[in-house]
Amino acid sequence: MAGRIIAAALLVGLCGAASGPSLAHHSFAVYFSPEREVTVAGTISAFRFTNPHGLVVVEVTEADGTVHSWRAETNAPVVLQRRGWTRTSLRAGQQVTLSGWQARDGSRYMRLREARDAQGRQVGAGAFGQNDG
Amino acid sequence: MHRGGRSARARSGRTMVRRLLALAGSGALLLASPAAAQDSPPDFSGFWGPVFNLGEPAADMVARLPENTVVIADTGVAEFPRGEYGGLILTPEALAHAEQWRPESELAIDRVCLPQSIVYALQGPFPFEIHQTPTLIVIRYEYFDQVRLVHMDGREHPAEAPDTKMGYSTGRWDGSDLVIETSHIAASTITNNGLDHSNRIRTTERYRIDPADGRLVATQWFSDSATITNNGARWIEWERRPGQYVYPYECDPSFALEYEGR
Repeated sequence: MAGRIIAAALLVGLCGAASGPSLAHHSFAVYFSPEREVTVAGTISAFRFTNPHGLVVVEVTEADGTVHSWRAETNAPVVLQRRGWTRTSLRAGQQVTLSGWQARDGSRYMRLREARDAQGRQVGAGAFGQNDG
Repeated sequence: MHRGGRSARARSGRTMVRRLLALAGSGALLLASPAAAQDSPPDFSGFWGPVFNLGEPAADMVARLPENTVVIADTGVAEFPRGEYGGLILTPEALAHAEQWRPESELAIDRVCLPQSIVYALQGPFPFEIHQTPTLIVIRYEYFDQVRLVHMDGREHPAEAPDTKMGYSTGRWDGSDLVIETSHIAASTITNNGLDHSNRIRTTERYRIDPADGRLVATQWFSDSATITNNGARWIEWERRPGQYVYPYECDPSFALEYEGR
């Protein structure tokens, strides 16, 4: 279809405009820094599997012995479910390593990219990106 | 990606869109509809998941958009940053509202589970199911568990009906295209960055199953003189995923507690 060639050119322009940080239910760009990647390891104290976002709370022991709580916000659980996550994928008391993007305000809060258990196995099927739903 | 670079490309894309739409409006881009009259309409029933690698917009569908329409590029997971509206021209009142918008207010416990209207929700990264009958099409969206009725029995839009986030929809077949008109949409957001629409917004969606790849493709057109002085549209695509189902969303507002005091 000849018209679709014109439409293709149109889309090139549109894609340039559309590329950028991911925002789904609320703004990734507003709350998280895409350049500030963090990884923490500790013991899970809570795991909430609820929309619009899930949450993992991990108690992390620092080098000086102090313990801080880190919170990792997940994608929507409806998205997690399609990547093999369930309500019991993580449990309180479990050792885990979380990686993701830290909150812009510098607090101990991140958007989860992936979780790995004590044996280094990834939870679910694949990590999450900044452009995931 | 730097915001300045993206804005430059956005301006370039918008200019191209406007030129194309101007051509379309002047009749210079007259394209034949691919859909000849059929004995029966196509079957849109099934589970449809969002597609993030958008294909080429069908030129004849773009050409059917009314004049003074800009196609905005926020379909899928991408959204405009604050202050960017994709070529939509805001009324002074809407612009002032957008400039005062605070994103953290959307994460208050009394707001975090309020669904957005179909104007914004349609383009988001969530699937839906279509259940089709000759007189009624039911669309069940995963996003916030919303359900939409599209009346296919030839009825008119009521003069008085409650405003809802899904609105009041009637549909008709135009060859193999499904055309849906929606009114009575409760005020909500257009771009989720401070640009909100009024309850006077009207939308027209045109859906088609692309014969080339089987994707469900659509133009979503909207007009709301209370907030924008031109009209807006989006190009959206989904793919059929047999055997899948919509999951319950069951939004839990307690998530907002994580954001209190931030």
